[in-house]
Amino acid sequence: MTAVLLLLVALPFVCAGLVLLVGHRGDAAGKGVAVGGSLLGLGAVLVVALSRLGEASPVGQVYADTVGFGPPIELALRVDQLAAVVLLLAWVVAALVQVYSLGYLAEDPRYPSYAALVLIFTGAMSLVVLADDLWLLLIGWELMGACSYFLIAHHWELREARAGAVKAFLMTRLADLGLLFAIIALGQRFDSYRISTVLEQVSAGSFARDELWLPAVLVVVAVVGKSAQFPLHTWLPDAMPGPTPISALIHAATMVAAGVYLVARLQPLFEVAVSARNLLAVLAAVTMLLAALRALVATDLKRLLAWSTVSQLAYMFGALAVGAWSAGVLHLLAHGAFKALLFLAAGSVVHAVGSTSMAEMGGLREKIPDTFVTMTIGLAALAGVVPLVGFFTKDAVIGGMWEARGEHQVWPWLAWVLLASAVLTAVVTAAYCMRAWLLVFFGRPHPHAEQAHESPWTMRAPLYLLAAPTAFGGLVLLAPGLFGPLAPADEELVHGAVSVVMTLLVMAAAAGTVWLWRRGAGTDPWAEAGLRIRPPHIPVDRAYDLAVVRPIGWLARGARGGDRDVIEAYVDGAAATARGTGRLLRLAQNGNVQGYLMVVVVGAALLAVLAGAVA
Amino acid sequence: MNDLLLDGLLALPAGFAVLTAVLAGRERRDPVAVRVAALGGLLTLAWSVWLVLAAPGLRAVDHPWLAALDVHWRLGLDGISAPLVLLTTLITAGCLVSLLRAPASTTPGRGALAALLLLVETGVLGSFVALDMVLFFVFFEVALIPLWFVIDRWGDRHDPRGRRRAATRFLVFTVLGSALMLVGFMLVREVAGTFDIVTVAARGVTGQAGSSQSGLLAAAAVLVALGLAVKTPLWPLHIWLPDAHAKAPTVGSVLLAAVLLKLGSYGLIRFWMPLVDPGWQLLAPCLAALGVVGIVYAALACLVQDDLKRLIAYSSVGHMGFVALGVATFTVGGVQAAVFVSVAHGLITGLLFFLAGGIKDRYDTTLLDRLQVLYGRLPRLAGLFAFAAMASLGLPGLAGFWGEMLAIRAAVFPDGALPRGTYLVLAVIAALGVVLTAAYFLALMRRILQGAPPAVQPVNPDTDSVELVSEEVEPGTATVEPRPLPDVRRSEWLVWTPLAALTVLLGVMPGLLLTPVAEAARAYFGGL
Repeated sequence: MTAVLLLLVALPFVCAGLVLLVGHRGDAAGKGVAVGGSLLGLGAVLVVALSRLGEASPVGQVYADTVGFGPPIELALRVDQLAAVVLLLAWVVAALVQVYSLGYLAEDPRYPSYAALVLIFTGAMSLVVLADDLWLLLIGWELMGACSYFLIAHHWELREARAGAVKAFLMTRLADLGLLFAIIALGQRFDSYRISTVLEQVSAGSFARDELWLPAVLVVVAVVGKSAQFPLHTWLPDAMPGPTPISALIHAATMVAAGVYLVARLQPLFEVAVSARNLLAVLAAVTMLLAALRALVATDLKRLLAWSTVSQLAYMFGALAVGAWSAGVLHLLAHGAFKALLFLAAGSVVHAVGSTSMAEMGGLREKIPDTFVTMTIGLAALAGVVPLVGFFTKDAVIGGMWEARGEHQVWPWLAWVLLASAVLTAVVTAAYCMRAWLLVFFGRPHPHAEQAHESPWTMRAPLYLLAAPTAFGGLVLLAPGLFGPLAPADEELVHGAVSVVMTLLVMAAAAGTVWLWRRGAGTDPWAEAGLRIRPPHIPVDRAYDLAVVRPIGWLARGARGGDRDVIEAYVDGAAATARGTGRLLRLAQNGNVQGYLMVVVVGAALLAVLAGAVA
Repeated sequence: MNDLLLDGLLALPAGFAVLTAVLAGRERRDPVAVRVAALGGLLTLAWSVWLVLAAPGLRAVDHPWLAALDVHWRLGLDGISAPLVLLTTLITAGCLVSLLRAPASTTPGRGALAALLLLVETGVLGSFVALDMVLFFVFFEVALIPLWFVIDRWGDRHDPRGRRRAATRFLVFTVLGSALMLVGFMLVREVAGTFDIVTVAARGVTGQAGSSQSGLLAAAAVLVALGLAVKTPLWPLHIWLPDAHAKAPTVGSVLLAAVLLKLGSYGLIRFWMPLVDPGWQLLAPCLAALGVVGIVYAALACLVQDDLKRLIAYSSVGHMGFVALGVATFTVGGVQAAVFVSVAHGLITGLLFFLAGGIKDRYDTTLLDRLQVLYGRLPRLAGLFAFAAMASLGLPGLAGFWGEMLAIRAAVFPDGALPRGTYLVLAVIAALGVVLTAAYFLALMRRILQGAPPAVQPVNPDTDSVELVSEEVEPGTATVEPRPLPDVRRSEWLVWTPLAALTVLLGVMPGLLLTPVAEAARAYFGGL
């Protein structure tokens, strides 16, 4: 078992190297290695994950360690229920993305580097999930950032792709400093970098209220960056110029999911750090509604889905902040399934139409029937329609928030705000799902959509494979024993009253959208036909530009000027001296060796005198 | 046996330098000379591996040398110097091998250049194994002088005046610095009674010095710090560096950045730390602060550079700032950080300068405005460049990460006698500097690697005139197709791959370097 763990971490990197080696020689070889490696890894994950579900105890192993500074840095891996299910999600999506990419990037000459990066991405996520050492986790964490940078910039001839990639990397890297300092602080406090050891000590020890606020808040900073929460949320929608399968990978199973995973993993730490939970709850409450409103008015299909990811991640953080741990994790899994489905289906739509703008879609229902069916399931799950998986997990989250009102997990007023925000967000979510569905598949076909054609089977098969868990995943909640400690008995996951109320609200929102769409004769129901919704545009990007980017530009020009005009002034003086010395010595028909010796002697003598005076 | 091994490490490159110089005297025999030099470089590399495996220890060789001055021929090798010795022999061998393929048209007199490189190698290796302060100074100088000729004669051939200026500036700065260092060493001898740094370190000279001598020792520490700060370099004494690195020929830049700067960082660890009592409230924090200022300042300067080699040169200033920060914490972790940053910087920046040289060979320029869309034109070289840039900006899993992370960590927990708050602030600033580093590397990659296939072509590459190919023209009719350039050649793979592979290896297994350095540091400093 432990050898399989190591294989899971090493395999993607080895395969990535192989793809780069052989990919440029033979087309088939690269594709074979990429897809084969992913499927092999998926097989190994199945072995690991299925044996960890239920009541099984965690398995861990230390393979190597480094002594010599403070606590050792260890190559330690560990898998428990949480790690197993997240690992399963990551590898299923990654393998499907590899298969899907066969069709989506069939003609792309950059396929080898793309496939290699997807493999590295998967390996990095495995590292984050399996790591039992904080440094190892950080390696995977930042490696994902770098991979996403390269993948977003896949079409580097596009200006937006270049800019989006840089923005994603810099924003997440800035936030990653939080994790770095959190690791340093935790290692110092508990004299170990082993996650399991640290968490055991946190659970066992008795701490003054909020004694561990600093590392927990630092972790929140890192998570806010990685999972694109307010106020570092702007990179995710701007990352959309990347190839669509990558968006599925980033949004569903890896990069942004890693943030949720980290908070879930460090739950004992957050248990004792109230201020970090409050911070997380505030950010989640703001982010979920803000992002949902932006999704409501987005005109680009991929940007709409990106904003919905930001919003749904905030749901998970909200749940984790109020202690509804299982609800948050289950929503992560459910979201992983339906968001991967949605992005891959959106990719299929884009493949058919040749554009991501919803204005150029419409009436695609009959042109691409498979995509239509699967995307309908995905959108319905996102909106929370009975009996799809999103319905159950979303209600578990909102129910958890409802029950947390009196438990003082967070400030009481904050619990109410969070609950209100979550309910409103659910309504808005239903509205934008319905809007996207209508705009893409119904109404008058755009001229571009006339020649739309269904995608090849390599792209359609993953859609159906993801539609299955999206449709039936909710049933798993009825058998909570499968998850063991993931679904503890004391955390109620099905809330009857909440479900009924939410279903009514969702239906009302959807019906309202349809009505507006009809009244506007098929135009954008929320932007043109009906209410002109202007979501509050919080100018964070502008603020960053004014507060950070421009001052750095000034400082940089100042540094250049400083070197040129100030420091070089004294250097030029020295150079003139040297030239003078050289001229003197040229009389002795010699080059600069003597000049240099002369300088040494004079300088040394001068300084000896000075030193003597000082002493 | 140890005598033979250590002396051989110095005799081998020196002997081959003489041999190469003799052969290079006749132009006809120039190719032979370069081959002999490359052989010498490879033999020295093999020898150094053997030497490190034999682990001779710090007290290996000790003969009186200049008896009248009490200067001894003291050589030794421990976990701190061994990685730097290996780095030096590896990089020099790479430089010499790459000279084999350098066209005689752009590098006339390759044999003489190779001989000078071997001479530099002798000096650097001598500095890394010397344990007598005066001997260290002598080898230090041996390494510096030949570089004046390297830069002046083989530097940027478009700018003879600029390269002379750069060479002279380099020499004046570093020589003044080493003169200060020598004076400092003299003062140390006044206090400690010996030039043997191992004795000084073991005895804890700071503890023994009487109050009358403590002023003398402080002066010595300041002088040595100044001298080494020029070489490291520390802000604001870095000013010689961008010019020297940018104007030097490719092998010169590689050697300067990857190896020569390590004289400064190694000197700080081996010859400066034993002289300093962390209890002095000012000196160590000043060093740390200058290092951190250098990190941020260099990153800012990199954001607005317009020449690739100058940019890489400035990035060196930032990386070496982490060395200063690590050293100034006076902890084992700090020493580990300093050595790790040094080695990682040697590998990564060496690779970056090699790549910049490869670009210069193909485009005959390193001006950023002239370089575009390398992903499209030279995909493998550009991919390797992206890898090196990622390594240099400190991506975890590659060598660049561990040293900088350890330096920051060491600064959070400095020696007990040092002001903790100050160091915490410095650590945070250094961490922000890491983000700035990422920013300028991303900006660089965006500028030269990515981009749309140009609609603008320099019609005449010799002048700066750029004519716009108007957009109304039918695509494919009037656009000037850039002449196809060869991607990475086999000889280049040969030199570049080991550097890239070691960058990955050290990133994945930092313990290879950290553990021996920690043991050596504990043994050397005793009290840490």
